[in-house]
Amino acid sequence: MHTPFRLDEHPRRRPQPLSGPPAGYFEQLPTRVMARVAAPARRPLPLAWLRHAPAYVRTGLASTVLLGTFAASLWLGGTSRHQPTRATTTLDAVPPQQLVDYLTSGETHVDMLDLAELPTRRLRLATQYLQPSPRELTEALDAQPAEEAALL
Amino acid sequence: MEDSEILAKFCEPASRNLAFNQLVRKYQQKVYWHVRKMVVDHADADDLTQDVFVKVWKNLENFRQDAQLFTWIYRIATNECLSFLQSKRRRFFLPLNDVGAELAAKLEADPAIAGNEIELKLQRAILRLPDKQRLVFNLRYYDEMPYEQMAEVTGTSVGALKASYHHAARKIEEYVTAADNPPPFATDAR
Repeated sequence: MHTPFRLDEHPRRRPQPLSGPPAGYFEQLPTRVMARVAAPARRPLPLAWLRHAPAYVRTGLASTVLLGTFAASLWLGGTSRHQPTRATTTLDAVPPQQLVDYLTSGETHVDMLDLAELPTRRLRLATQYLQPSPRELTEALDAQPAEEAALL
Repeated sequence: MEDSEILAKFCEPASRNLAFNQLVRKYQQKVYWHVRKMVVDHADADDLTQDVFVKVWKNLENFRQDAQLFTWIYRIATNECLSFLQSKRRRFFLPLNDVGAELAAKLEADPAIAGNEIELKLQRAILRLPDKQRLVFNLRYYDEMPYEQMAEVTGTSVGALKASYHHAARKIEEYVTAADNPPPFATDAR
């Protein structure tokens, strides 16, 4: 027969039923707590007033900032395209004849055909040099290999 | 240092830190054990104890002294424990028993309990109580807190507290008895 358990007959474990904290815990706890409460207060955000502003003010301000950023990026992107690069500026200072002489020299392996195929913005150079007479054009075309003539 | 002296010095900026240091040293063990009995684990109890004193620091200026200082601190500690246990259940979507099982596992690993079968069954029985009832039981059984003070700590009437403790004690006795504990005096063979 089991004896019913009676709480008031059970020797009460004093002061506490569980094992104690690590050695020195209570000596260190005040220091740790003081370190936490003495932490510097966070500085308020510079735009903390926004939190109290009406919703329409916040919405309007956000929209203005977004649109302004978009417009600025478009404007800055556009101006940069029109500004010549340093290399282009340096190259523009070189006389065209000097450029042609250099390009057609044996070292660069550039011939008339390459110059004729220059991009549109270099057309000034090409048109300056390529101003053949009809007779010169005929002779140049006849001199082309047959397979290349098919591309003309 | 008396509570009134602590409060007076705390109100002075020059002596605030010193006063608070004295307050922590005066009540840290009571707060720690109050919390530890609820959460079992030392690491959790350490975190919560610190949180309690940080809250005391933040709110001590507003303490109206309509209750004893320690009662007020105990109330903060009680609320922190209950919030902690509640958030633990909610965070992991665990039913009541699983959190209880987790606490029981920590209890069984405690060196002060291990090897003492009766004490282990008693502690298991206490852990099975609902949090608030367990709190009342601990305050009465281990801390021997008067019901009037307990009423201030828990915000519950004296009558309800007495009933709660009585039911808690009955549940514990039934659990330990049902767990087939040996008689207190094994030599009394019948």
